[in-house]
Amino acid sequence: MVDGLEDDAMSVSYVVETAGLTKRFGDRVAVDSVDLRVPSGSAFGYLGPNGAGKTTLIRMLLGLTGATAGTMRLLGRPVPAERATALAGVGAIVEEPRFHRYLTGRENLAVVAAAREREAHGRIEGALGRVGLAERADERVSAYSLGMRQRLGVARALLADPKLLILDEPTNGLDPAGIHEFRGMIRGLVEEGRTVLLSSHLLDEVEKICDAVAIVDHGRIVMQGSLAELKGERETILIGASDGVRVQALLTGRPAVQSATETPEGIRVTLRPGFPITVEEAAADINRFLVEAGIAVHRLESAHASLEERFLEITSRLGVTA
Amino acid sequence: MGSIVLESAQSQARFRRLVGAELLKLRRRRALVAASLALIVAPMVVSYVVLATLHAANAAKYGPAGGVENLRGALELLTQIGAVAAVLIGVNAGAGDLGAGVFRELVVTGRSRFALFAARIPGGLAFLLPLIVLACAIAATASVALAGSGQAPGAGLLVEYTAWVGLVLTVGFLFALGVSSLLGSRSTSIGVLLAWQLAVAPLLLQSGRLDAVLVAAALRRIEPGGESVAISPLTAILLIALWTIVSLAAGAWRTQTRDA
Repeated sequence: MVDGLEDDAMSVSYVVETAGLTKRFGDRVAVDSVDLRVPSGSAFGYLGPNGAGKTTLIRMLLGLTGATAGTMRLLGRPVPAERATALAGVGAIVEEPRFHRYLTGRENLAVVAAAREREAHGRIEGALGRVGLAERADERVSAYSLGMRQRLGVARALLADPKLLILDEPTNGLDPAGIHEFRGMIRGLVEEGRTVLLSSHLLDEVEKICDAVAIVDHGRIVMQGSLAELKGERETILIGASDGVRVQALLTGRPAVQSATETPEGIRVTLRPGFPITVEEAAADINRFLVEAGIAVHRLESAHASLEERFLEITSRLGVTA
Repeated sequence: MGSIVLESAQSQARFRRLVGAELLKLRRRRALVAASLALIVAPMVVSYVVLATLHAANAAKYGPAGGVENLRGALELLTQIGAVAAVLIGVNAGAGDLGAGVFRELVVTGRSRFALFAARIPGGLAFLLPLIVLACAIAATASVALAGSGQAPGAGLLVEYTAWVGLVLTVGFLFALGVSSLLGSRSTSIGVLLAWQLAVAPLLLQSGRLDAVLVAAALRRIEPGGESVAISPLTAILLIALWTIVSLAAGAWRTQTRDA
């Protein structure tokens, strides 16, 4: 359990709360009236395509740039009014972590620890050990690979003994083994009672790490909730059949079917939300219909929509309407 | 009352840690350390070695290497060349974090931007002043030990000269710190400051028309035994203080307002 967590983060339901948060650069709106609520003790994904305004929102939360309009609270404290107190419990990686390349990894951590409370210096060894850099901590950062610099960035964020970790595209530059290790580390941090706000454009990453997600596009949050809610809103049925094109054509007109698309796994049928039959009844109905139409069905299974499908569905719909 | 004292002590300790970090960043820059030694300490060593060699080779033509006159010449050289080092140190202290992209990493700690800026001043001085003291100590030792039949400088004069050199280089450092914090770029700041120091300011000094507003003229005015400049000592001191405060205030303002 994180020291002092009971005092602050656990006493607030949401460790990040924004209302109407907006950032404009001239005529361009980078962040558009964002109402974000990150539940305490969760891994929360802030998911959106490149240029959606994810980093700008994080920069506003951390006081790196000012907001044009709206309000923010971090760990229950209003920022920027109580920025110093709030950020004392926050660790962050914004974009690619940067360091003084001529200093060693340990010295770089010492420089940032000096800006934090006295205890931060005592956390340097533990943080280096946690990210697997203890043995190379006395090498200059100029000799580090990008992956090592990412890990050193995490170590730097841990110096705060953070109740909230804000990580912006943290797996950039990590190899597959590093990404796997990183996911485990994030889940470990969440299990300790910390909250992780993870900004990413990588759906797979968010799906594997996070409990809840906000999907952002064109600066606006278009959907937020638990991962289960987002993925489970629409039931789908996966069909393996002899004639995919004909199956698509036949099913498109069925009242329970919203869409039928061909995927590498088969025909993915998305059921119309709110239609008054269960997914099992729909599957039986579709099977009967296809067999009667002379289609040989060799696979039929119900499936939840993946986050990727939901994400593409949401962002492409917005793209059409924009 | 007790809690206020404790809070103040904690705040001072926190600031001292920041200053220590600033000093660490400067003293671990090998190129800066080498340049500072070459521009502050080496000229004194080279000057007196050359003077002593010339005297040894032809004592009739070249007087003793020590003495007051050679001390003045050596320290004037130090203020000219050492000022370049002061600019380099000031620029590295002022724009080093920004150049490396580390400034934002410091801002996200929640530490006030003003404290981050203010710590650069004692941090940079802790790097610069020992070098000045070393250079002046070399000059003082040589000027006394190698005075021969000439007039050796007294302790009072040595202290006066050391204080004057310290002031000139400190002002150069603070000005560079303020300007580089304002501009946010090491290369641009070095270019602007060196062009000013090595080309523009000497030309303006020669014309004599802008002495009333030039820091260089003010520093000349208070040089021990230096040439006369048409401003009063009080005006000179006010001028130095004004320009230093203006440059630092500009740097502090930009540090607080810039996007990190």
